[in-house]
Amino acid sequence: MKPPFYTRYIIVALVCGILGIGIVVQMVRINYTSFTEDLIIKSENYQGINELIYPARGTIYDRSGNILATNQISYEVGIDLKFVNDPESIAFAAASLIEDLDYLEVFELADTEQMGETENRYFVLSSYVSKEKIGELERLEDSYAARREQTNAGKPNLSGLVWTPMQQRAYPEGDLASNVLGFYNYFSRETAQGVYGVEESYNTLLTGRPEYIFMPNNPYLIETLPDIDPGASLVLTIDREIQMMLQNELAEAIEWSGAEGGTIIVADPKTGEILGMASSPFFNSNEYWTYEETFPGITPFNRAIGKAYEPGSVFKVITMAAALDSGVATPDSTYNDATGVYWVANSWPIYNWNMGAWGEQTMTGCMRHSLNVCLAYVADELLQEDLFYQYVQAFGFGRGTGIDLAAEANFPLRLPDNNQWVELDLATNSFGQGIAVTPIQMVAAISAIANNGQMMTPHVVKSVIDGGQQYDVAPQMTNAPISAETAQALTEMLSLSLEEEASLALVDGYRLAGKTGTGEIPTETGYTSTLTNTSFVGWGPSDDPHFLVYVWLEKPTISKWGSEVAAPVFHDVVEQLVVMLNIPPDDIRLKVADE
Amino acid sequence: MKNRIIQAYKQAPWRIQLQWIGLFLLGLVLIASLTGIYLSINAQAASAGRNIQGLESDIDNINNEIASLTTDLAIARSTERMLSRAKELGFTLRQPGQALYLEIPAYDPNTALLLAPPRVNTIIEAPTVRQSYKLSLWDWLTDTIWNTSSTTIEIEGGQIP
Repeated sequence: MKPPFYTRYIIVALVCGILGIGIVVQMVRINYTSFTEDLIIKSENYQGINELIYPARGTIYDRSGNILATNQISYEVGIDLKFVNDPESIAFAAASLIEDLDYLEVFELADTEQMGETENRYFVLSSYVSKEKIGELERLEDSYAARREQTNAGKPNLSGLVWTPMQQRAYPEGDLASNVLGFYNYFSRETAQGVYGVEESYNTLLTGRPEYIFMPNNPYLIETLPDIDPGASLVLTIDREIQMMLQNELAEAIEWSGAEGGTIIVADPKTGEILGMASSPFFNSNEYWTYEETFPGITPFNRAIGKAYEPGSVFKVITMAAALDSGVATPDSTYNDATGVYWVANSWPIYNWNMGAWGEQTMTGCMRHSLNVCLAYVADELLQEDLFYQYVQAFGFGRGTGIDLAAEANFPLRLPDNNQWVELDLATNSFGQGIAVTPIQMVAAISAIANNGQMMTPHVVKSVIDGGQQYDVAPQMTNAPISAETAQALTEMLSLSLEEEASLALVDGYRLAGKTGTGEIPTETGYTSTLTNTSFVGWGPSDDPHFLVYVWLEKPTISKWGSEVAAPVFHDVVEQLVVMLNIPPDDIRLKVADE
Repeated sequence: MKNRIIQAYKQAPWRIQLQWIGLFLLGLVLIASLTGIYLSINAQAASAGRNIQGLESDIDNINNEIASLTTDLAIARSTERMLSRAKELGFTLRQPGQALYLEIPAYDPNTALLLAPPRVNTIIEAPTVRQSYKLSLWDWLTDTIWNTSSTTIEIEGGQIP
């Protein structure tokens, strides 16, 4: 006998069973349809987001720990359509407080009725908005909130106008050392990178390692975000006080001399550390988008490393160093400048700077009076091509110095085995014509003379701070092109030269060695320009050099001579430099050393 | 007789029903308890997750604030600002002739800047057998007694254990 309602039970069971089987079948079927992948992707989107986290870019300090480059917070302002209910107020607030925003454009974006259903629910209005502007927006939002409470109305309301913080590169010192620092083009975060200077050469270290991190929507799966190490910080060898002094002196010198541009470098010859490097034009890295206005055409970002020129007589230091070191001449060797002209291969005449004859001169006299004929004789007859170019290469000419700054220029050396080389080149190269060098190459080469024959690699980074530890950069010797005796003898010769010449470069109380340079500028028709490159290189104190200063002023109009244009600038720089470097006058220093 | 015995020990139908109902309710209570515990734990986990998110956001905000303040400080201490402040306070740049040099024994003006601890060479210790595996029972006993007595003395002497 069947129980009561047996048929009904069976029907209900069948219906439920069919429904269950249907659901299972549908589940299986969905797994094998073309929509499966789409569904999986959509489900992944709901699980969370895979966000690329950028570590904070490393800070750059000067040698005393003052910040030269760091990061500051700015904001991205956008509209999230999900939360907009008062587009008029949003458009008014954004357009009145943020530059470059137009009321109508913002209103059109914020007006949900007009936008309708759109895939894109978030629109960026402006990037890198200052925190001051955001502060004003916050105050406006507070005042709107207070008004809403009073009136019990839903408007005015900035709901839907959102701002998210983002990091922006900042250079608190403005244009100070910008030619050394370079800049960071942060506008597009994906393609942002350091450009020029330290920002480019140490870009990988400063940037750190961006990492993808999965941020789940399911709170049950949320874990603490892993710590992402910030980019490494750098301590530079630059001293900001020296740098500022150099920039001021360079700006004054350019104005006074009518020069087209210039550079001043201060280095420690014992270590190769660059203490200051000023180069015109000056540039504010905070406004890097003005780059093309500041550096039109082929203007180099940093003349000190990026522009090669014919240095003129400062190169005689190299020729004389080669002659003394190889033993073909001594400081007292003589040369008789009877006619004021030296004939190269009986074909090409070489004249002195004043076209005059200076009679019998010692090598010290040749350097003191900067005699082209004497140095041409030394190179052409005493050193000859093999020895001369051997020394020129040993001093690092023809290749980069290896300075840790981006965009170092290098002009290849024309050597005797090059078919463009002619015998005249040997004579003209001896006094710095027909050879192109960068100021930093000259600094690196002459540091050997100021440092007992040891040439140090110029560098601007003193330490790297990474992973909470400080790594000091050890000074590196590039080469030892001459002996210590030669270096000391040449320093003595150049100290005597300055003193006897009563040079404008001399500084009271300090014995200095140095050499002027006046380089003619080649044109398409030869050396026809009346403009020159004036330079001066000097170091001191002569008995124990602590600094080396290189001054280059390009095409001054006030005078064409290095002794009249660059030497006084050297004097002004050194006069302040000795105080900044705590170097007492020689009498006090030597007295203390004797005690 | 057999039937009478069975009947005597057989439970009344209403008692059996009551037992079944009791069992069912017990199961229901168990399931409800487990569900409650599960929900409670999940709610706590979710709440902790949200707290973590909040704290992460706080960390971001604090880091942003630090970066912002560091920049403000750097701008306030920039060379130009410092010079103008010094001028306002009546200071002037020293000239070479004005410098007075004094010899201070053992003073080195060129001390290296240290913004972080210098690099240290980490020596990775080779895996060694733990000390406890080398102890005899007697050693362990004496060590334990000695350490216990030392700790006691330190506490008595006002030391932090």
